[in-house]
Amino acid sequence: MTGDTAILDANLGWMILALFSVVWVWLGWWLGRRAADLEGFMLAGRKVGLALGTATAMATWVTSNTTMAAPQLALQMGIWGMVGYSLGSIGLILFAPLARRIRALMPNGFTSGDYIRLRYGHTAWRVFLGISLFYAFGWLVSLGMAGGVVINALTGIDYHLGMSVILWVCVAYTLLGGLRAVIGTDFLQSLIILTGVVILAFLALDRVGVEEMHASVIEERPELLNLLFPAAIMFLFNNLLFGIGEIFHSNVWWSRAFAFREGVGFKAYLIAGLFWAPVPIVAGFLALTVPALHLNIPAADMVGPLVAGKLLGEGGAILVFIVIFSALASSLDSLLAATSDLILTDIYKGHVRPQADSAELARAARWVVLGLGLLTWLLCWPRLTTLAELLYFTGAFVASTIWPVAAGLYWRSINPQGATLAMLAGTGIGLASYFLIGFYVAALVSAAVSMLIVLASTWLAPRSFEWGQLNPQPAP
Amino acid sequence: MIISVSALKILIVTATLVVAAAPLILLILWVLDKKGGKIW
Repeated sequence: MTGDTAILDANLGWMILALFSVVWVWLGWWLGRRAADLEGFMLAGRKVGLALGTATAMATWVTSNTTMAAPQLALQMGIWGMVGYSLGSIGLILFAPLARRIRALMPNGFTSGDYIRLRYGHTAWRVFLGISLFYAFGWLVSLGMAGGVVINALTGIDYHLGMSVILWVCVAYTLLGGLRAVIGTDFLQSLIILTGVVILAFLALDRVGVEEMHASVIEERPELLNLLFPAAIMFLFNNLLFGIGEIFHSNVWWSRAFAFREGVGFKAYLIAGLFWAPVPIVAGFLALTVPALHLNIPAADMVGPLVAGKLLGEGGAILVFIVIFSALASSLDSLLAATSDLILTDIYKGHVRPQADSAELARAARWVVLGLGLLTWLLCWPRLTTLAELLYFTGAFVASTIWPVAAGLYWRSINPQGATLAMLAGTGIGLASYFLIGFYVAALVSAAVSMLIVLASTWLAPRSFEWGQLNPQPAP
Repeated sequence: MIISVSALKILIVTATLVVAAAPLILLILWVLDKKGGKIW
């Protein structure tokens, strides 16, 4: 994907970037101006309501990948590509009861790392931090790179400039307003993303129609409409487990469970999951209009923007640019904030400065956001690998945490050794299957291995855990 | 086994209508939260 595919004038691209950058940064400052203390900055005061809670869960899960890769997958794997992608919503839906449980068991918790440390001890905690930080950096770098690549592809603006703008804008408003800024901007971004995707879908249905779409795909690429496409079905299950692993372990979702008002977590994640599920189908089916529109697609991941450009001309290009910019920002800011929390609480306080008090941590929180932004920027600069490769590589890591995280919230008898081994062996064997078989089985194998180890170790050496141990001390 | 036109239409149209409803639901939730003083 290069600037050769540009569907928008670079000057217009700069104007849109500048406008939205000013809006997000101002909004971040305005929303976060009263978030001075640590809980205010990290967890928005633990009082986030249902509307903002639902919107932030949806917007964070709609990444540039959802809007760019869903059409790409539909183009490569057909119906199952987009339906498989939509199964990512199962992770959000299944996290709904977990969010309620987390809030009840850990009313003063800060991060997912807190939970693993208190539930399974220091060894499991360090293994978990390794997995979680690897995933977080993988996602951060892939998002930062996607920003640069997409802006370059849509407008011809240099990759390094586009990547720097989107990354530093997100760093700026996260720095100014913490989680309040992230969640507040997520609300507007989710409205923009959903409205934009629906406009494009209605246009595609109006201009092409399902009958013509179906007939032209049958003529040129009939396998895309085949319901028995083996690799695609494998992808479907892998993506399901990948999504569950991503959400269950990541501090992005745990920090929200801690930040939501009591009684909000379950409803917010459930509604967000139900409304997120059709988004990849709506974004994805645009790819099925390609044969009918007689489009030449130079790069599979550009199919969404090219269809939009064809349907709406310059207006479509502007719309898709705004949607993708919002989708990128809504995920990047959440990940910056949640990863910073993990580094601050579990690395800085957990390993470097255990004696740090709340005031010191509140000061350090801003420096951590800044440092993380700088590190991400440096890692994104060389543009080392493609977005999809980096993201699927982490599937083996995150899927190994599903069982230790979820079962540990409900079953007293899970033991720390079993949980640690499940994460290590699940990751190792999942990675081996990634290289030996393919990306589409890594999460599947990792989750299966992890499940077997958790079940066997619990059966062999059950332990009785006291739930009160998850809420031992007041806020750090 | 190829998906039929009608099944494809149901899938796409239903998905589009649900996504179209989402922003409205978010705005309604926002109004309700605002009235109850539960935005933040």
